Amino acid sequence: MTLRTYVNTNVLLIQNYSDYSCPVANNYADNKIRSDDTVQTTVSRSCHDGYRRADRVLVKVQDLTPDKADQLIWLRARVHTSRAKGKQCFLVLRQQQFNVQALVAVGDRASKQMVKFAANINKESIVDVEAVVRKVEQKIESCSQQDVELHMERIFVISQAEPRLPLQLEDAVRPDGEGEEEGRATVNQDTKLDNRVIDLRTTTSQAVFRLQSGVCQLFRDTLINKGFVEIQTPKIISAASEGGANVFTVSYFKTSAYLAQSPQLYKQMCICADFDKVFCVGPVFRAEDSNTHRHLTEFVGLDIEMAFNYHYHEVIDSITDTMVQIFKGLRDNFQTEIQTVNKQYPSEPFKFLEPTLRLEYTEGVAMLREAGVEMGDEDDLSTPNEKLLGRLVREKYDTDFYVLDKYPLAVRPFYTMPDPNNPKYSNSYDMFMRGEEILSGAQRIHDAQLLTERAQHHQIDLEKIKAYIDSFRYGAPPHGGGGIGLERVCMLYLGLHNVRQTSMFPRDPKRLTP
Amino acid sequence: MPMYQNGEVDPAVKALEARQDEIMRKLYELKAAVEGLAKTVTTPDADLDLTVSSSLSPQSSSSTAFKGTADLDTLLGKDLGALRDIVINANPEHPPLTLLVLHSLLCQRYRVLSTVHVHSSVTSVPPQLMSCLGPRHVDSYARHLFQLGFTLIWKNVPTLQMKFSIQNMCPIEGEANVARFLFKLLTPYPSDPAVATLVDSWVDTAFFQLAEGSTKERAAVLRSLNSALGRNPWLAGPEFSLADIACFCCVQCSGSASSAPANVQRWLKSCENLGHFSPAKLLLQ
Repeated sequence: MTLRTYVNTNVLLIQNYSDYSCPVANNYADNKIRSDDTVQTTVSRSCHDGYRRADRVLVKVQDLTPDKADQLIWLRARVHTSRAKGKQCFLVLRQQQFNVQALVAVGDRASKQMVKFAANINKESIVDVEAVVRKVEQKIESCSQQDVELHMERIFVISQAEPRLPLQLEDAVRPDGEGEEEGRATVNQDTKLDNRVIDLRTTTSQAVFRLQSGVCQLFRDTLINKGFVEIQTPKIISAASEGGANVFTVSYFKTSAYLAQSPQLYKQMCICADFDKVFCVGPVFRAEDSNTHRHLTEFVGLDIEMAFNYHYHEVIDSITDTMVQIFKGLRDNFQTEIQTVNKQYPSEPFKFLEPTLRLEYTEGVAMLREAGVEMGDEDDLSTPNEKLLGRLVREKYDTDFYVLDKYPLAVRPFYTMPDPNNPKYSNSYDMFMRGEEILSGAQRIHDAQLLTERAQHHQIDLEKIKAYIDSFRYGAPPHGGGGIGLERVCMLYLGLHNVRQTSMFPRDPKRLTP
Repeated sequence: MPMYQNGEVDPAVKALEARQDEIMRKLYELKAAVEGLAKTVTTPDADLDLTVSSSLSPQSSSSTAFKGTADLDTLLGKDLGALRDIVINANPEHPPLTLLVLHSLLCQRYRVLSTVHVHSSVTSVPPQLMSCLGPRHVDSYARHLFQLGFTLIWKNVPTLQMKFSIQNMCPIEGEANVARFLFKLLTPYPSDPAVATLVDSWVDTAFFQLAEGSTKERAAVLRSLNSALGRNPWLAGPEFSLADIACFCCVQCSGSASSAPANVQRWLKSCENLGHFSPAKLLLQ
């Protein structure tokens, strides 16, 4: 005898009375999805059953607190673990970063067959559970909901997982040191990335990407409040914008085109088109064959460009204030997420000053020289020097975020405005988080003549950038800006060590899937 | 004699009015000068190589009192081509009044770039603490134009802390010690070891007994201040010194100013007349 019932929309549930002798056989079942004609007719006839169920309220695991004690509730969650102990079966049911202990015991509410059924549900399967919430005397340390447990009355499998998982979630969340000490497994990064769908279910991953969503939201909100306009720029472009070799080529009908390395040109054109202050959030493609902890071939760029009145420091102030608002928003609203990540990846909390510390390049060089580094006045900072300078600044000012202003002109791109008071330097700046560069920005040259001269000085083919230079020929306001990488900012804020941990489906020279 | 002829004021009357205005203006100037003199007569001589006269501009290079960068090179070590930045981490619950006073004295002596920051360990800070170092300098976009940096960071620290040269100096803790460091950038301590020790002793008394002590301790300090000031115009003898700065600020902070004995009251008035203490008074309001 089989009955067909629908739950919610169109997942077919067949209740199998596998054991006629079980007195509570109606209270538990497996699912099998069939795709034959009988299913189709049953769909049309019984689909209103699903709507009948639509008024059943599913409680969230995070809301299971002592004030719900003794209530009978329904919830849908994943089976995190299941463990049979004699006449009882303990399950841990998980929803995103929250989990709760549930148990079913042989007695008047459950039979031996039901307990066995519960113990055999594969990990990660999605189940609907009807249970009574009970308070517990001793806190359940291993769950997020520590003060209650569920006494299950009914359990139905909505979607079954295969029995062998490519990785175990507890292993994926285990801190590296702990794994080595106790001889338990941890999962290496490549395995995690290959099975990203499962890895993203871990509490750590959930926390990281919720925080990343917060960064985007705070970025948008802060800039909108400052009067910026959000723009979308094209990603298929006709010429390499940053100059040089690191562009992806795509075939474009009978010719070829490139994937944009940055929205630089288009941001500036918007300024020349009188939008005054703009920002854009979108993908950036860099064909750099760098296999480092902080490079991706595709990442999300958060870019800002604005016209200023009298001094390019207005741009620096605007950008740093936006970053500080983002840091404050994360500090005040995302502490749970930060603590969750720190459990697996311990790190020092992120510190910053308001207003942001701004040092001049010469000061940075002086600090490095005092620490024993030998470098010329106009040399660029190497990555180890940047890290050392970050540590020195941290020691003196106790901040993980600062701006280095007035870089030497020789190491900046051709469109950077030179310093009017000293031709060796430029009106350009870099911003650092935890000693690593997150933003490279500058005042841009807004005079077509000067721009042409600087391009020639850098031996750039003027034909290739004709459209760019043309945009400044019909009145352009003085302007400047900069761009940050979302993944890198999140990685450095949380104190993580690999940018792939903050990119959902990362792209690098060796990885194209998932 | 009619005052108005043809609808216009008689030029003779105009001339009379002009002379009258001129006399009034001269009278007011005289009054201001006499008041100024009266203050200096009641206030004992306080020559710190600094003058209070408002007519002397802080950037004047002709005055012998301002010795310029050569001093800083001897005091702080050779300039490495970048701003020498003094970083002070202070708790907003206990603003360091002495250091604010010393800061304004430093600004009169050197070109100082002053900035105030709030550290992420503190949620917010009242606006008067953000503006306690005065308005932003017009040239502050170019840090290299300054001789000295004074960076005040409001932070959740248990005791006040100063950092200067990471390689050569450990952090200096305690408002008293930082005050001694900053004072020595202005002028050297008295060369007589007894007087120098006396100054140090008053500085310690100010910060430990006056600021942090019980009511009994404070009363005892006020009595010893009173007797010391009965013998000398300033705490460490005939010269104004760091002892006076420290004790003034701590007396004001502890709220004992109104109940102080007679000599102390007179000395408090003299300090105020000098004009150095306006940054501290602003914060106390």
